Amino acid sequence: MTGRRGGRPLVPAYLSTGGVARPSRAHLERLSVLTGSGEPAPAELPAAQAALLEELEYGSLTVVEAAALLRLPVSAVLVLAADLLDRDLVLARAPIPPARRFDPDLLKRVADGLRDLKHR
Amino acid sequence: MIEVPDLAVGALALGTLSAFALGGGLLRSRRQLAAQRAKTAALRAQLDGTSRTFTSEVEHLAARRVPAAARQAAHPHVTEPGPLNPQLAGSPLGAALERVLTGLHAELAAQRTRIDAAAQAGMRGATREIQAALYRLQDALRGLQQRYDDPELAQTLFELDHENEQSLRRAQIAAVVCGAWVGLAREESHLVDAVTGGQARLAGYRRVRVSNHLAAGTALVSHAVEPVAIIVAELLDNALRHSAPDTEVVVNLEAVHHGVCVTVDDAGLGMTQDERARAQRMVAGSDPILLTELGDPPRMGLAAVGRLTRQFDLSVDLTSPSPYGGVRAVLRVDRHLLTRIDPEELPPAASAPRSTRRAVPATPPPEPEAGSAPAVVPRTPEPLPTAAGHDHGYGTEQDAETPAPGHHGPRESGGLPQRRRRGRAPASAGPDAADGVPQRRPRRPEESAAALGALQSGTAAARSAAGSNTAAVPDVPEGAPAATTADPASEDAASNHDEGGTAR
Repeated sequence: MTGRRGGRPLVPAYLSTGGVARPSRAHLERLSVLTGSGEPAPAELPAAQAALLEELEYGSLTVVEAAALLRLPVSAVLVLAADLLDRDLVLARAPIPPARRFDPDLLKRVADGLRDLKHR
Repeated sequence: MIEVPDLAVGALALGTLSAFALGGGLLRSRRQLAAQRAKTAALRAQLDGTSRTFTSEVEHLAARRVPAAARQAAHPHVTEPGPLNPQLAGSPLGAALERVLTGLHAELAAQRTRIDAAAQAGMRGATREIQAALYRLQDALRGLQQRYDDPELAQTLFELDHENEQSLRRAQIAAVVCGAWVGLAREESHLVDAVTGGQARLAGYRRVRVSNHLAAGTALVSHAVEPVAIIVAELLDNALRHSAPDTEVVVNLEAVHHGVCVTVDDAGLGMTQDERARAQRMVAGSDPILLTELGDPPRMGLAAVGRLTRQFDLSVDLTSPSPYGGVRAVLRVDRHLLTRIDPEELPPAASAPRSTRRAVPATPPPEPEAGSAPAVVPRTPEPLPTAAGHDHGYGTEQDAETPAPGHHGPRESGGLPQRRRRGRAPASAGPDAADGVPQRRPRRPEESAAALGALQSGTAAARSAAGSNTAAVPDVPEGAPAATTADPASEDAASNHDEGGTAR
């Protein structure tokens, strides 16, 4: 049985967007959350956009997650998502503001404390 | 007694007589000699004439017929002049001269093949190097594409990748024409991926419209993948080249009795009878290929197709005109080169058109196996349990029947949850579905790992970007590879999946 896909991909990424890498909307980011709008997909939707929409059928995804699932670079997914946004097939939410960075010092102290507990 | 005078008279008479006789003889011999001389002179003249003819015939041979014969080897339309003197045709001299030409022909042909083989070997070596270098370049470009998503940079990378694909295609067909291997081993792949991959190698790929009418999962055995991609690319290139830039080239993938047909239609001018016959001869691949016969610059496309069809037992037909007015090219892939890939396990590339037959098999489900529980009947009106629900609800024996009624036979069973990835009937909430959450599709561990890896790297990128506001392009090296490879920690990812599911 074929396990995982290895080797060189047959279909290059630029084909997914027809060679376009500049999204029609600038505000999308790697961590923007995409949700399908529930509108029925038109039949003439390009294959890659349809594939993205299909991935979103089962719940929201961030752009990076969708890229990983579709095996496309993030730049291509940004274009696809922007096109779907233009057609109102997808809703996008700005990324959740990044949490404050963990204080490495604090983490280290917690780890030390845990280790202490273990050795006690 | 005889008198002396009588004697003298007699002797005189005798002498006179003999003198007459001798004189006559002399005269005769003189005449004969004269005749002989005349004859000799005539013969000499004739001989002179003959040798002149001979010389001029040989000169003609050297000056006209031999060069014409030599030219004819390369240009078949050159007519070879006959002998100077047409009467010579049947004579031994004529036959001997003909033999000179026949020998010349044979030797020339042998030399040509030898020289061509040497040229092909040289070119093979060169193109192999180029091809390998271009593949390395491709790897580098794709790595960059994964890593950077700045639109301007990504645009450049896409363009470079496309340029690279085109160069790669040229190097590859040159190599194939020269008798080299296609240069790349691939795993078995979806047929539609091979076709779309071929499409991507062309400058005018946006004009190509692919319709996939194959059952989902129709795939090529590994050694046929690259040849099919090359052939499709060449047929498409021909179609694009010979049709107006505002017309589409239509590709249809259809199942036929013996396997699968890839039909390429263009709306161009079409070919004349002669061109069609020549093209068909080329793609049949039955004649040996000589580089010198491919023109300048050499037209390698069809020759490469010919090599590949012969080598891999494919067949290409160019004999029928297209209903669009142009040329119809049909590539037939026979059953022994086909296989199946579970489209849920390994879906085709995102850019590959989905099968138009996707919905068809799902609606008329093959009748449930006799022994199976009545629960298999549904799939139409009443609320269905999801695939996952099935497994939980009915244990393993159903697995053999339920997995993919529409897509394929029971390919794997053994109690593992069956994943229905695409083409699932929109089932309502299953037994275990939380209210409000629509159906949830269980992802494969690898998929989850990839998605979570990507998410993690994305978060890290955002953090680092937030940390240093100047960095426009976050540098996230580790996460990207994780997105494409199966993680050994997939077990973890799978169990994490449910927590991550809130985001889903």
